[in-house]
Amino acid sequence: MNTLVNFQPLMLDLMVLFVGLLVLVMDVLMPPGRKRGLGQLTAVALAGIFALSFVVDVSGVAFSGAYEGGAWALFFKRLFLGAGALVALGGTDHVDRRYPGRQGEFWLLLLFTLVGMMLLPGARTLVLFVVAFELMGMPLTMLAAWPKTEDPTGPGRRAPEAALKMYLVSAASTAITAMGLSLLFGAAGGLRLDVIAAAPQTPLLWLGLFTTLGGLSYKIGAVPFHQWVPDTYEGAPTPVVGYLSVAPKAAGLAAISLILVETFGAASARWLPVVLFITVITLVVGNALAVPQRDAKRLLAYSGIAQMGYLLIAVAANNESGQAVMLFYLAGYVVTNLGAFLVIEAVCADAPDADLSRFHGLYKRAPGLAFALLIFLLSLAGIPFVVGFWAKLYVFMAAYEAGLVWLVALGAGLSILALFYYLRIAKVVYMRAPAEDTPIAVGGGMRLAIALCLAGVVGFGAWPGPIVDAARAAAAAFGG
Amino acid sequence: MFWHAHLLSLTVAAPFVAALVLLAAPDLKGAAAKTVALVGAAASFAGAIAVWASYDLSQGGLQLVEQYALVPAYGISLHLAVDGWGVALLLLTGVIITTGVLATWTLEVREREFLVLLLVLVSGVYGVFVSQDLFVFFLFYEIAVLPMYLLIGIWGSEGEVEAKGPFAFVWRRFKVGGREYAAMKLTLMLLAGSAAILVAIVAMFFAAGGTSFGFDTLQGAAYPRSMQLWAFVLLWFGFGSLGGVFPFHTWSPDGHAAAPTAVSMLHAGVLMKLGAFGVIRVGMMMLPDGAAYWVPYVGAVAVLNIVWGAMSALAQKDLKYIIAYSSVSHMGVVMLGAATLTQDGWNGAIYQMVAHGMMTGLFFALVGLVYHRAHSRWVPGMGGFAKRMPGVATFFVLAGLSSLGLPGLAGFVAEFLVFLGAWQSDHAWWAVPGIIGAFVTAVYVLRVGRDVFFGEGPAEGFEELSDAKGTEWAAIVALAACLVLLGVYPNLVLEFIHQATTEYLPLVLGSGATGVAVLP
Repeated sequence: MNTLVNFQPLMLDLMVLFVGLLVLVMDVLMPPGRKRGLGQLTAVALAGIFALSFVVDVSGVAFSGAYEGGAWALFFKRLFLGAGALVALGGTDHVDRRYPGRQGEFWLLLLFTLVGMMLLPGARTLVLFVVAFELMGMPLTMLAAWPKTEDPTGPGRRAPEAALKMYLVSAASTAITAMGLSLLFGAAGGLRLDVIAAAPQTPLLWLGLFTTLGGLSYKIGAVPFHQWVPDTYEGAPTPVVGYLSVAPKAAGLAAISLILVETFGAASARWLPVVLFITVITLVVGNALAVPQRDAKRLLAYSGIAQMGYLLIAVAANNESGQAVMLFYLAGYVVTNLGAFLVIEAVCADAPDADLSRFHGLYKRAPGLAFALLIFLLSLAGIPFVVGFWAKLYVFMAAYEAGLVWLVALGAGLSILALFYYLRIAKVVYMRAPAEDTPIAVGGGMRLAIALCLAGVVGFGAWPGPIVDAARAAAAAFGG
Repeated sequence: MFWHAHLLSLTVAAPFVAALVLLAAPDLKGAAAKTVALVGAAASFAGAIAVWASYDLSQGGLQLVEQYALVPAYGISLHLAVDGWGVALLLLTGVIITTGVLATWTLEVREREFLVLLLVLVSGVYGVFVSQDLFVFFLFYEIAVLPMYLLIGIWGSEGEVEAKGPFAFVWRRFKVGGREYAAMKLTLMLLAGSAAILVAIVAMFFAAGGTSFGFDTLQGAAYPRSMQLWAFVLLWFGFGSLGGVFPFHTWSPDGHAAAPTAVSMLHAGVLMKLGAFGVIRVGMMMLPDGAAYWVPYVGAVAVLNIVWGAMSALAQKDLKYIIAYSSVSHMGVVMLGAATLTQDGWNGAIYQMVAHGMMTGLFFALVGLVYHRAHSRWVPGMGGFAKRMPGVATFFVLAGLSSLGLPGLAGFVAEFLVFLGAWQSDHAWWAVPGIIGAFVTAVYVLRVGRDVFFGEGPAEGFEELSDAKGTEWAAIVALAACLVLLGVYPNLVLEFIHQATTEYLPLVLGSGATGVAVLP
C-alpha cells in the first residue's frame, strides 16, 4: 500500500474534522433561537464516532511513516472522543444559557482541539508533533476566555485572567518545546522519532530531550510548571475546565510517552532521575497545596496536579505494564474527574465561584448529585470498588515491578493526605446544614452525562477486567 | 444442595441484599425499614449458625469452598471457605449485627440510610472472615471500614469529642470538630493502615511469583527474609491500627465516643477484631520469618496496650470513653495471645475476639440506653440509676464481671487461655503485666458500676429515668445469654477454634511445633 496517501489511520480524526465543519455550516443555517441543537449535534456525533471506532480499521501507517495508527493511538482517540462527547452532553445547557449567540464557535473550537489531540498519539515526526499540539492548545485558550464579555462581577469575571495565564504559559511552553525539538533535530539530523532514537548520544541530544520534557511538563501541569493550573481552573467556565483537566492532560502524557519511552526508552538511565524528581515534587506539592484550598475548582486543580504525579509514576516505570497502567489510569481519570467537574457545574451553575460553602448540605438539595460527587471523590482518592482504586493499585504494582518501592511507599502515604482533602468536600456535602433548602434543578443532558460518568466509575471499578485487557493490548502495540 | 453449596456466599450476601432492598425503596421508613434490616441481619446470623452446624470437625481444614474467578489476569478470585476460626467469628458477627439492628430501633433520623450503611459494613466483615484470596480479603476489609466515616459523621453524637494531642491545631485550623473530627480521624488513620497493607500485599504478590492472590499460593511461598521483615511491620501497623495496637489506637476512643450505639457495638464488637485477625491470618501465617523476628515486640506492645488501655480507662470521666479504652485494653489481650505463638495463646486470642465482641457489644448497648434516657455520659454527675433501671444495672454488672475475668463468664476463658499461653512462651514475663491489667480492669469497672448505678440517688436531674423496654431487652438479653453460655460451655466454639489453631500454628513455627494444649 502506498503509505504516502493512506488516510485509513486518520479516519476518526477526519470524521471529527467533518463534524466541526458541519457545526460551522449548521450555525449559519439554524435560526438564532435553536442554536442549542449545535451542542446536542456535537455530543451525538462524537458518541457516534466513538462507536464507529470499534468498527473502523484505523491501523497502518500514513505519510511515509510520519503517522502511525494502531491500538495504542486508538485507545487515546477513544479517551478524547469520550471526553469530548461527555463535555458536549453536559455542557450544552451551560453554553446555551450563558452564550446563546456564540454557540457554533464554541463547539467548533472544541472539535478542533479534539482533532489536535487525536492526531498527537499517532505522530511520529517532530513537525506533526508541534502542529498537533498547537491545534489543541490555541482553541483551548479561547474556550477558557469564552465568558469574557460578560458582567464584570458575574461568574465569568475571572475568565480573561484564566485565559491570559493559560495563553502565556502555553506560548512559553510551546517555545521551549520547539526549542527542544529543534535541538533534537540538530543532534539527530532527522525529524522522525526512529531517526532520533538511533542517533548518537551526544550532550546536545540530552539537552534537547530535557528541554522538550520541560515544555511538555507545562502542558500536563507537572510541578514546577504547574502554576497556571489553579488560576485557569478557577476562572475558566466549568465545563471547559472539566475538559481541560482530562483530555489535554492525556494528550500531554501521550507526547511524553512517545518521547521518553518510545524514543529514549533504551536510555532511561539518563532521564529517569529527572522524571523521578518531577514525579516526586509533583506528588508532594500537588497534594500539599490541595489541603488548604477553599474553592472546589482550585482544590480539584491541585488534586489534578497530584494525579499527574501518579500518572508519571507509570511513565517512569518505563515498561509495557507501565504503559498499560497509564492507559487504564487515564480511562478512569477521564470519567472520574470530568464527572466531578460536571457536578460542580451543576451545583455552582451561575455562581461567581465554587466555594466549598456552596456545597453545604448538598445531600438535602440534590441527593443524586451529592452521591455522585461522593463516588467521584472516593475514586479520586483511590478507594476500593471504584475505578480510582484499581488505577492506583496498578500504578503501584507497575512501580514495584520496576523496583521503585520507595515511590510506592510515598504514593501510598500521600494518598492518605489526599483522602483528607477529598473528605473535606464529602464532609460539607453530607454533614453540614444547607444555607438554603431550594432543590437544585439539573438539565437532562447534564444528568445523563453525570450518570454516564458514574456508570463508568462504578462499572470499571466493579469489573475492571475488560479495560485492563484493552489497555494491555494497546500497550503491547506501543513501540511495536 | 444449592443452599449448602452456596452457604457462605449467601451468608455474606444476606445483609447486602437487605441493604439493596432498603436502597431501592425510598418510601420504607421507621419500623418497616428496621424490619427489613432485621430480616437481613437475622438471615446472615442463621447462615452463620448453619455454617457452625455443618462444619465437620473430624475432617477439619477448609470447608464449604466456593470459588469464582474475578480478575484472571492477576489471579484474583472470589474464593470463600470457612475454617474453625471462621466458624467462631461468623457466629460473633451474626450475634452482633442482629443485636445491633435491634439496638437501632429507637433511631429516628435518616434511619434508612443508616441501616443501609450498617448492613453493607457487616457484609464486609463476614467476607473478611471467609475470604481465601488476599485481594478479596482486602476489598472486604475496606467495605467494613469505609462506611464508618458517614455513620459517625452523620449520626454521631456532638459535643463530647474534641481534638486533643499534638495535632489538635491542624483540626482547629480546618474547623473540623466534634463527630466530624472523630469520623475523619478514624478514617484517615485506618486508611493509612490500609495503604501500608496494600504495599505489603503487592510485595507479597510479586515475591510469590506474581500469579495469584490465593491464600494457598501466598501461604507457602518462599519469601526472602529481608522482605518479610519489613512487610510484617507494614501489616502489623496496617491491621494493627484497626486492632487498636498502641500507639495507633487513638482513633478508637474518639470514634467510639462519637459513634451512635449500633455503630459502637459493631465497631468494638467485630471491626477491631478484623485488625487482630488480619495480623494473625495474613501477617503471622504468611510471613513466618517476619513473625518470628518481630513477635517479641508485638507481645511487648500488646502488654503495653493492656496496661495503658486500662490506666486510660481509669482516668476517664465519660462513660463511653471508659468502655472504649477498655476495648483498647482487651484488644491487647488478643494481640498478646497471638504473639505467644502457642496453641493456648492462639486459642485464647480467637476466643477473646468472640468473648470481647459479645461483652463490649453488651456494654455499648447498655451505655447507649443510659445515654438515650439520661442525655448525659458524665459519670461524676450520675448515681443511683439502679433504682430507676434495675435491669440495665444488672446486665451492666454482668458485662463488667466478664470484662474483669470472673470465672463462669466468657471473658475468663479467653484471658485464662492467653495468660497460659504467655507463660509457656519464650517471654513468660508477659503474663505479669497482663494480669495486672486485668486487676486494673476490675478497679475501673467496679468503680464505674458503683458511680453510675449504686449509691444515693437517683442523682439530681435523673428522677425520670426508666428501665429498658421492648426490643431493647432483646438485644441485651441475647448478648448476656451468649456471655454466660460461652462462659460455662466454651467448647461450643472452642473446639472449632482449637481445630484451626492445630492446623495453622505449625505454619508459623515450622514443622517442629511446640506448646502443650491444656484446653479442651
